[in-house]
Formats: sequence, C-alpha cells, structure tokens
Amino acid sequence: MKTWKSLGERRGMVRSRKAEFEEELPVGESVRQISRRDFFRFSGLGFAAGLALGCKSKVVEKAMPYLNAREGLTPGVAQWYATTCGGCAAGCGVLARSRDGRPVKLEGNPDHPVSRGGLCAIGQAQTRGLYDEDRLRGPKLAGKAVDWTVLDADLQRRFADLRASGGAVRVLAGTILSPTLRAAAQGFLGTFKDGRLVEADTLSAAALAAAYERTHGQRMIPHYRLEEADLLVGLEADFLGTWIDPVGFTRAYAERRGPDKPRPMSKHIQVESGLSLTGSNADERVRLAPSEAVPFLEALARHLGLAVEGGALPTALAAKARGIAHELEAHRGHGLLLCGLNDPRAQELVARINHALGHEGTTVDLARPSLQKRGDDRTLEALVREMAGGKVAALVLLGCNPVYEQPAAFTSAFAKVPLRVSLALTEDESAAACTHLAPDHHWLEAWRDAEPVAGAVSLAQPLLQPLFATRDAVESFGAWAGRPVPALQALREHWKAAVFSRQKAVGDFETFWNEALQKGAAQVESGPAPRYREGRVEGAPRAARKEGYELLLYAKVGLGDGRHAHLPFLQELPDPITKATWDNYAQVSPAAAAKLGLEQGDLLRLRPEGHALELELPVVVQPGQDDRTMAVALGYGRTAGGKSGLGVGKNAYPWRTFASGFLAAEAVPLQVRRGQGRVDLACTQDHHSLEGRELVREMALAPYLRDPASARPHEQPGPSVYGEHPHGAHRWAMVIDLSACTGCSGCVVGCQVENNIPVVGRDEVRRKREMHWLRIDRYYTGSEAEPGVVHQPMLCQQCDQAPCENVCPVLATVHSEEGLNQQVYNRCVGTRYCANNCPYKVRRFNWWEYPHASELERLGFNPDVTVRSRGVMEKCSFCVQRLMEAKITAKNEGRELKDGEALPACMQSCPAQAIVFGDMQDPDSRISQVLRDPKRFLVLGELGIGPAVSYLTKIRNITPETNQGGHHGA
Amino acid sequence: MAHDADVLTANGIPAAEAERYGHNLPLIDGNKTYRQVTEEVFAPTERRPPLRWWLVLAVTLSMLSLGAWAVFQTLTRGIGTWGLNRTVGWAFDITNFVFWVGIGHAGTLISAILFLFRQRWRTSINRAAEAMTLFAVMCAGTFPIIHMGRPWLAFWATPYPNTRGSLWVNFKSPLLWDVVAISTYFIISLTFWYIGLIPDLATQRDRAKTKLKRTILNIFSLGWNGSNRTWSRYETVYMLLAGLSTPLVVSVHTIVSMDFATSVIPGWHATIFPPYFVAGAVFSGFAMVLTLMIIARSVMGLEEYITTRHLEAMTKVVLATGMIVGMAYATEFFTAWYSGNPYERYVFLNRALGPYQWAYWTMVGCNVLSPQFFWFKKVRTTPWMIFILTIFVNIGMWFERFVIIVTSLHRDYLPSSWATYRPTFIEVAILIGSFGLFFTLFLVFTRVLPMIAASEVKGVLKNVEH
Repeated sequence: MKTWKSLGERRGMVRSRKAEFEEELPVGESVRQISRRDFFRFSGLGFAAGLALGCKSKVVEKAMPYLNAREGLTPGVAQWYATTCGGCAAGCGVLARSRDGRPVKLEGNPDHPVSRGGLCAIGQAQTRGLYDEDRLRGPKLAGKAVDWTVLDADLQRRFADLRASGGAVRVLAGTILSPTLRAAAQGFLGTFKDGRLVEADTLSAAALAAAYERTHGQRMIPHYRLEEADLLVGLEADFLGTWIDPVGFTRAYAERRGPDKPRPMSKHIQVESGLSLTGSNADERVRLAPSEAVPFLEALARHLGLAVEGGALPTALAAKARGIAHELEAHRGHGLLLCGLNDPRAQELVARINHALGHEGTTVDLARPSLQKRGDDRTLEALVREMAGGKVAALVLLGCNPVYEQPAAFTSAFAKVPLRVSLALTEDESAAACTHLAPDHHWLEAWRDAEPVAGAVSLAQPLLQPLFATRDAVESFGAWAGRPVPALQALREHWKAAVFSRQKAVGDFETFWNEALQKGAAQVESGPAPRYREGRVEGAPRAARKEGYELLLYAKVGLGDGRHAHLPFLQELPDPITKATWDNYAQVSPAAAAKLGLEQGDLLRLRPEGHALELELPVVVQPGQDDRTMAVALGYGRTAGGKSGLGVGKNAYPWRTFASGFLAAEAVPLQVRRGQGRVDLACTQDHHSLEGRELVREMALAPYLRDPASARPHEQPGPSVYGEHPHGAHRWAMVIDLSACTGCSGCVVGCQVENNIPVVGRDEVRRKREMHWLRIDRYYTGSEAEPGVVHQPMLCQQCDQAPCENVCPVLATVHSEEGLNQQVYNRCVGTRYCANNCPYKVRRFNWWEYPHASELERLGFNPDVTVRSRGVMEKCSFCVQRLMEAKITAKNEGRELKDGEALPACMQSCPAQAIVFGDMQDPDSRISQVLRDPKRFLVLGELGIGPAVSYLTKIRNITPETNQGGHHGA
Repeated sequence: MAHDADVLTANGIPAAEAERYGHNLPLIDGNKTYRQVTEEVFAPTERRPPLRWWLVLAVTLSMLSLGAWAVFQTLTRGIGTWGLNRTVGWAFDITNFVFWVGIGHAGTLISAILFLFRQRWRTSINRAAEAMTLFAVMCAGTFPIIHMGRPWLAFWATPYPNTRGSLWVNFKSPLLWDVVAISTYFIISLTFWYIGLIPDLATQRDRAKTKLKRTILNIFSLGWNGSNRTWSRYETVYMLLAGLSTPLVVSVHTIVSMDFATSVIPGWHATIFPPYFVAGAVFSGFAMVLTLMIIARSVMGLEEYITTRHLEAMTKVVLATGMIVGMAYATEFFTAWYSGNPYERYVFLNRALGPYQWAYWTMVGCNVLSPQFFWFKKVRTTPWMIFILTIFVNIGMWFERFVIIVTSLHRDYLPSSWATYRPTFIEVAILIGSFGLFFTLFLVFTRVLPMIAASEVKGVLKNVEH
C-alpha cells in the first residue's frame, strides 16, 4: 500500500486542504489533545491523502516522479497548459488541464486566433486516445517488438542502400499542420535522390485548392470569414460539422446568429442533398440530388452574369437558383458562397462567383489562407500509379491510414513497395501492412507547432513524459536523415528561423517563444494575396440525372474521417441529426422509404454502379433529405486500430474513386436491393416531433425586431406548495441561446470527459441506458420533406422546487444554498424515484458496475469527480467541482469570485458561445443581463418547479410569408 | 315459524328481514357439532400431508427457487438485468409491489371491518384471509428492497438513530410514507391475526401428541385456559385491534397511491388516486381470497365451512368494488380531457391507443367487464365460474398497476426521451417467484395452523344448543 512519500509532503497536503474549506479541520493541535473521534478523522484524512498521492500506476511514476517535486506543482491542484489540438488538421487551440502530472481534460483556448475558445467533440475526446490500451507500446520490426536502436539500424541500412541506388522514397501524410514536422519530413526526403512528400486528405478539399490555382494562380484554400457574411450560401458544405475548420467556422458563424448580437443577424441558405448539421441550422434549405449540385451552381453563375454553359435543371430548382442569385446580388460584397464538393468545376465556379460578387477581401480572405487542408488528390493518384508500377522503393506513412481510407487500388499497389514504414500510434489497417512500425508520440506527449491559417501560429507542448517507448516523428525523421535532433530543439530552431522572423513586435526570440508558449499562439505576417485571373471555367457542363438513386458519402460530426473510431466517446456520441450511435447506415428520405416499403432498421444493400463492393446497411429514414439521395457515413467499418471501432458499421471508403484526379463518390448512381432482416439501431431519441408542446419557442426575425417584447412567454409559472429555498452567496443559473446553438455536440463529450461519465456500449444504448448528463434534443417541425430542425441542449435544470428532491426517501438529492440540485452519490440507495419524477428525464442510473478495469484508461479520469458505482443515480452537477475550484482560488487570493471565473465544462468549450452561466444574484453579471432578455423562456416552466436553466427563443431569419411570424413551437 | 319483530337472528338482524334476504340460512352446513368442528379443522395439522399437497408444494417451491435465482442475479449483477431504462425507471418491480399490497387488503378488511359490522359470515374465512394478507404483504415488502440499486443500504430508508449527524430520512418522500405504512400494516395485521389464533393454538396445544409441539404451542398460546375472564379479555383486545386495523385498510393503499399522486408525472399526478387505489385493493384482495378459498375448500374438504353463501357474499363485494374501479377509469379520462392539460390528455390517449394499448384493454376487460357476470346468481354460486372470473380480476389488477406505471412514464413531458419498456426474463422470474413465495407460505400455513377459526365458527353454529 502506498502512502505519502514524506511527512513534509503530507503536512503540505493537509495545510492546503485546510485553506480550502470554511470549517476548520481539527489538525495542527498536539497529538495528546486528540480525542478518539479526532483520531479517526485524522487517520481518515491521512488515508485520503495517501490515496490521493498513491493513485498512480507504474506508468505515471515514470511520467512524474515526486521525489523531487517540480516547482509550483501542488498535488491536487490543477495546472493548465496551452497547446494545439492534434485531433485533426484544423489545429484548434486548447488549454489542457493537468492534474498531478497527467492531462485529464482539454478545453478551448480563447486566445487562439482561429478557434477562439471552442473545441469540438473529437477534440474533447483526445485524452481518451492518449490513455488508449490499443496504442503501440513501441517500435516493431516485421511484427516483433524491438528496440529503437534495432529498428533504426535496420532502417538506416535500407535507407543507405536507397540513397546509393537512387530508389524512390515517398512520405504519404494527411495534411501536416506542423511546419516543423513538415520541415523534418522534407529534410529526411532531401537526403534521397528521389524523395517526395505526398499530402492527401481523407476528407479532401483538393478541388477547392485546385480551383484557386486556376483563378488566382496559387494552390490555396482561402480563409472564409463567416463573421463578415450577411448572407451565407452553403452548397453541400457541412462547414459547421466536418468541413475544413468546423470549430473556427462555428465560432464565426455564431457571431452573426441571433437578433441581439453586435452586428445584424446573417441569413443562411443551405443547398444540399442530405440533411447535414449545417443544413439543420439554415434559415432556408434547398434539397437537390447530388447530380443536380453542379448544374445548380452553373445556373447560379449564369444568373450572376458569368459566361458558363449549364446542364439542364428541374424548373423548381432553376427558380430556387434564380432566387438565391438575386439574394447574393443584393448582398454583393457581404455574402459568401461555400461549396464542399471535391469537384474542380464546381469549386472554380464558386471561386469565380465569390470574386464576381466582390467577396474577396471581406468574406474570402486570400491574404491569410487556410492551411488546414493541403492535400492534393492528384499527387496521391500519381503515387498509386507509381507504386503499382513498382517504382516506389520505400513509403513512410505519417498521420494517415490509406489502406483503410483510400480506394482498393492503393492496397494492392502498396504491397509492391518493398519498404513500408508507419508512424501511426495504433496498429491500424495500414500499419498492419507495414514492415516497420515507428510509432509517433500522441500529440499530448509531443512538441509540435501548427499554422492552421497563414500567420496564425501556435505551439503544442507535451503534458507528460511519453507513456510508451514511442518517438516523436520529428526525431524519427531526424534520426533517419542522419541528423538526430531532439524535437524541442528542432522546433525552437525552426521557430527562430522561420517564425520569429515573420514578426516585428517582439525583438527577442526568448520573449517571443515564451509568450507564444504561454498563450499557445502568436500572430505573424503572411504573404500577399494573389491576384485574380480571368479564364474559362474548366470542365464540361454537367447534366442532372433525372431518376434513380444517387450516393452521398459524408462524414459524421462525431467520427469525422474515422481516424478516431477507436475512441468510445465518439462512437457513443449521438449523431446530431439522426441521434444514432455506434453505427453507420443508409439514410433514405421519408418519400423514398415509403416508395421502397422501408422502415427504420430494415436492411438495404447498396452498390454504386461500376463497383463490385456491395454494402448491407440498416435504413435510417431521414426527414429533409432529397428523395433520390441515399447517404452513407464514412469512417466506419474499421478492421484494426482499436477495439472500440472494430465491427462498428461498414466501410464505404472503397466506393470512392479518382474522378479526374479528385477523390469523390458523389452523384454515383446506386443499385439498391432489399437485404434480409432488420437491425435495431442504437438511437438515443426515437421520437422527433414536439407533439404540439411548447418546449421550444421559435420566432421569425422581422416580427421580433419590430417588437422584441412579443417574444416574452405569456404563461406564468404555477405556485409551489413549498416555500422558497434560502440562498447564500451565489445562485447559479444558465441560459442557452437556441439561435446560436448549432447542435455540434462538443459539449456532450466535454461533459462526459469532465465528469467521468461511462460509455455503455451499443447494446445498452439500444436499451436506452446511455449515461450522458448533457444531451441535445433534436426536434423536427413542419413537413417531413422539408422540416425545420431545432437543437435543444438538455441537462439537469437545477430546479428550485425540484421534483426529484421531494421524493428521495434518504435525502440523497438535496438543494444547495447556491441553487444547485446536488446528488449525493454515497447516500443514494437507488430507488430511481427521482428519475421517474424528473420531467426532463435528465437523471442517469448506474444500471451496472461499468468497467474501469484498464489501469491505463483510468488515468484519464478527472480526479475531482467521483467515479460512481453500480446502483447509484447521477446527473449534471453544473460542474460543481469547477465552481468549487474557482471559489477556492478566489478565497485563497482573498477576493470575491469574479463573473466568468466559474465555468461549467459545456459552456467553456462551446464553439458557438451559446451558453451563458453565472451568479444571478450579482446584478452586473452577464447572466443577470441575459435573464432579462425578452426571448428567455423556461422549458416546462408552467410546472412551477423553477428551473435554473432557461433558453432563448430560436430566431430564424426567414421572411414571415414562408412561416407565420411569432409562431411558437411546432 | 312465527315471526316477531323483536326476534333477532344470530346476526342481529330482525328475523323477518333475515329470512327475506336469506340471512337465516345456516352459516355452516352439515349440522356440525363442536367436536366435529374441532376434529375437522385441526385434522390437517395433525395428519401427514397427502401426496397432492407435496406435489403442489413442489410446484410452488420450484417457482420460489426460480424467483430466488432471479433475485440473486439482480443482487449480484445489478438492476441492469431488468428491462428498465432512463425513461421507465419502474415497471415490474413496483407493479408487483402495488399488486401484492392490494392483495393484502382483503384479509384485514374481512377480519376487522366485517367484524365491526357484525358480518358473522366472515368467521369461516377470516383466518385464511388474514394469513393471505400477511403473506401478500411479505411478497410486497421484498420489492421495494430488491428494486433498489443498492439494496444492502435499504435500512437507510428507516428513521433509526444513527451516528451520521444530520443524515436522516426525507419526510416529504412518499417512499418513506410507504415504509411506515407498510410496516405498520404488517405489524398490526400480524398481531391481529396472532391474537385471533390464540384460542385455536390452545386447542392445538391440548391436542398435541408430542412434548415439543406442546411446549411450543404452550408458549404461543400464552397460557390460554379458556376461562370466562380469558375470553372476556380476549374479546376486548380483539375488538380494540379490529378498531385499530380498520383505518389501516384505508391508509395503506392511500399512501401507496401517493407514490404516484404526489409526483409531477402526467397520469400519476391525480387526486382520484387514494379512493381509486383503495377500491382497487379491496377488489383484488377479495378476488384473491375467492381464488384461494375455492381451491382450499375443495382440496381440504372444507365445503361445509366455506359455503357458497360465503362465496356469494364475497362476489358481491367484488362486483361493487369492480364498478368503483371502472368508474375511476372513466373519471380519469374525463379529468384528463376536462383539465385541458396537453400532457395529461396525451397520456390517457396513449394509454388507450398507444404501444401499450394491449395492456390497457386487458385491464379494462378483466376489471370492468368480467365482474359484470356476478350480476347473475348462478355465476355467484358456481365455484368454478367464480374461480375463472376471479383469476381474470387478478390478472386485470396486475395490469392496472402496470398500465399506470409504465404508460405514464414511457411518454411523459419531453418527446425526446420517450422510450418503451420490455421486461427481461429475470423480471418475469421474480414475479413468478413472488407467487411461489405466496403459495408456499400458504400451503405451509394450511398444514401448520388451523385454517379456519374454529373457536369463532363454533360461535355461529346454529343447530347446537348453547
């Protein structure tokens, strides 16, 4: 049994605890005065302290030896480090919370110039990937675990041969966001006569970059400034969910979404075939089949005066195109057209339209382009040809999994490469086909940098010693190039040479470095904007297909491209639209389902024309989807790389092919057959209508602006039998702005990580036993074909007259004087009466002892939150541990708690800043101001239970003709 | 026979009236003598049980074992073995609880209220009915314990002095009221039953053949000597306890109904619940007494003690309470409509037309339609017909609780959380097990203690000179 390591350390521990609490603990008196009861208290405290210090495995001991405690490190007190998320190539800034030497929670970094404080679901789940049992423990050579020296010796010998023979060496990577890592890779490749870096993205935006090569002479992706757009038109671009930079886009988008923001509310029109998260937030949606997207753009371009030929379009769509063209015309200079198709003709049309409408310089920033998708599909296609021809002698895989995510041609060609090296963290599908495995650090263990948008540079610093015998990719490339340099040194050298020189504000490198490290990011200069070139739009006009089903492949908000499919948090995250977990499926419109006689869960066999692969997928009937579209999510059907992803869904990546050099599968005609049997999908929400209940209030913009007071709800809350609760120094309240919330679900995973909420698995979700404390209810209003969508985050409403509190026989759920409805886990006997009596159904019961067997995975738990045992009820606590921490800090500093210091996890990382939280007793706090908003309403306020969470009416920027103004609910 | 207005029958009813309504018919058939009564009532406790009894016991013990296995699974693995979910937090567990508490109502009603109302026909059935009450309450009592997530801490729900400082029970919680109501009911019923048993225990003691049996019975008969003073005190105590038990008949199910009535859940939050539940409890309790008595009288050969007149009297109670229950169903719908509350309206429409409509219509068919056959005297006096109809009532009353609990919970306020519930095998096994427990206890009772209150029956024998 481990106890404290030294008496002094223990005394220090006791002292710091003493300061945290108002009631003095009986310590510090002479031992002789200690009574029997005090003795037990004392030894209990010692035991607790021992536990707190003893809770570490061999692994952590290696990470942070306490023999010589680091300066400024107090056990039990969290430390925050600014770093950069490595979950995808968007490069959001994060603040990592480290407790006793291990990162336990990631949050958005408000100082980061691109993400500005937001973090998505994938980012929130990253700590789980750090402590993943399925990570490679060290290098492997031909399937056997070896030492780095052995691996390096073998590789050096082979590389030396290749240097001599001039064999082709390629590094294949997803977008390398880190300039230092790119330099290292290029440095390594430079030692060969024929070395080349091939960047290719799984969810590619290569056609977009290629379009700018034609229109501006430079392969680039502009940085879209959504906050500048009065009118946003999205065409098959899920920019709030999965496209390029969802967090940054959501942050910018939300700045203009709502009637009381500093600048007028923007209007958002989405043209799409499936119902994406972005489409679900649009004020207007136009449904079209995938093959109609390019003709639609052509029509749009023609209406806007561009000389392009166009394919035929149904009259209804042609009229829509004309209408949108008029609107774009009306917002000239302040509109924005976004297109997510990986189609060079479509992207060139979009680039030229945006130029013609004068969006460059306002909403389309070419001076500081986005560097988040640098991949070029054409180079990948060339690589596959090279490999198939036996011309590639060595291929190094970095941050990509091509065997899984690229067309089957890659896999067969890959086998012809004699030397296959993988730097992947897990033994994924591609690593399994490699001869040499040289696992990289997890990004939380590594020194890295990032430049997501030109000029916005940020740093990533390690939060702990590497857990395993992995090696930083920068060091690996350095070692293989014969110039072994520690990653930190390489990073500093690169910054001194290539980053520091791009700014003039700070004259001294050390100061610049330290500031950037502390803040996590810095602004430097970037190159000039390229100039527009007139030209003919490439490609032939496309004709819309008139009938038959067409395929739409898309990425889900939770799983993205599938690289994190082994993270259970993400598998269990309900899709914001379908609310399904642990599966992909064939989404079919209600009309198509009726026509084909399909119901939710029926099996359907799909095969794109010209493909051999047929997938059998369960049907999800998707309101709002185009009637000829069948949508299938990518990122599922993993066969390696972590147990949680195995056998979940089907892999649709092989359906993609290179169409004129760009990876796509859109608009491919589908062969559709009925499958045998049904599948019970694990959905967290089965009922999609509001049943005429006023749970969500909506209003059109114009009537609201005419009379904001008209938004105020009329009904009065009912009286209560019991009197008011007395309130102490604080009374916490939360307001959620439904106009701003996009339903991105980052908060759901953030809450899960912060509060140690278990993942229960597919079967238990089927039994409706998911444990999420915070869920996002999604309702459809209006018709099935063209529904309105509402996302309503639902969490414990911390009622003042809580129905749950009255019914608990053992007082396991009680009211705090700060207005919190507290759940006392160790008092709970589990009658479930409270959950039954909760009108919001936000209480969650521990049906089983959820497994926490993995010592490694347990390291990711938040030590401030109890891990609940079987038979106990739990629910949202408003992150009471964070409120306590903020209060303790304020108390230790001898001051009042400031507004905005105590933030629940959901609020902190909301990319849309839709959540306001604070002390409603402080008249100057932000929450007190928001509580006076006429748009504010309570869900089920008429029950008289006084919820502390309220919502702001969802304002839609629609013309009242299309929807009756002031119309509430469904 | 000349009728005089002053002549009263043994029931205290004017003789003329008694004849008109059949009250002057003997309560016990077969011209029994005191000795005969003693011999026939105590015989089962003194003989080796017949093979039939052992076979039935084997069946009930098997049911009990199945239930014990299911409870073991629940306790060791967790409530996850049940079909409950985040939306439906109670289903079979509390359904069974309320069902068994309801069954437990008839015994006290028969022994206490009918005693106070001088309904002397109760004498042949009160002992068995009270025993049934106790066994039903024992069955009921297991469910609040095993339905807890951490049943080993169930004692926290009792207000006992402890060293946990301010930790105490929540007197606002109807579950706590339940604990108090059920435990009070059990203790009073047990005492009442035991006091009523004392004269018969003394008889049993006097007839005992082994020393051990005599010693044990001597202790439990509290030195009964049959003196006038003993009888006088006995009757005073019995009367007092009858008075004490009477309000409990009403209070227990009133409080059980408040588990639902004090909540905010549409379909539960209704002021009609207390009378509705009490009527339902009497309804189901009498139905279960009838079911058991019809079996017992034929198996134990007690047709002359439990006559068709007894059965008929009880069917009338079933008919009356069945109509009260039917009225309550209708009133609930009216109130839901009249309230204008959309949630309330939806719950009731959903009950009748939603995914659990089969359960609702089973309930209506069993509880409202089947008792209507009791309008016919032929049905009221034909044991096999009564038996079938009371089985229906038992099924219907189980479904009533299931309908109230599950249909109200599964679609309450927020449509996003709506879910359906399906029981698992474990839950069904626990229900079977509770029947196993009930019947096993009853079977053992019939062989250990006199099933009929011999001392009381002797008081209503008509043909014997006093």
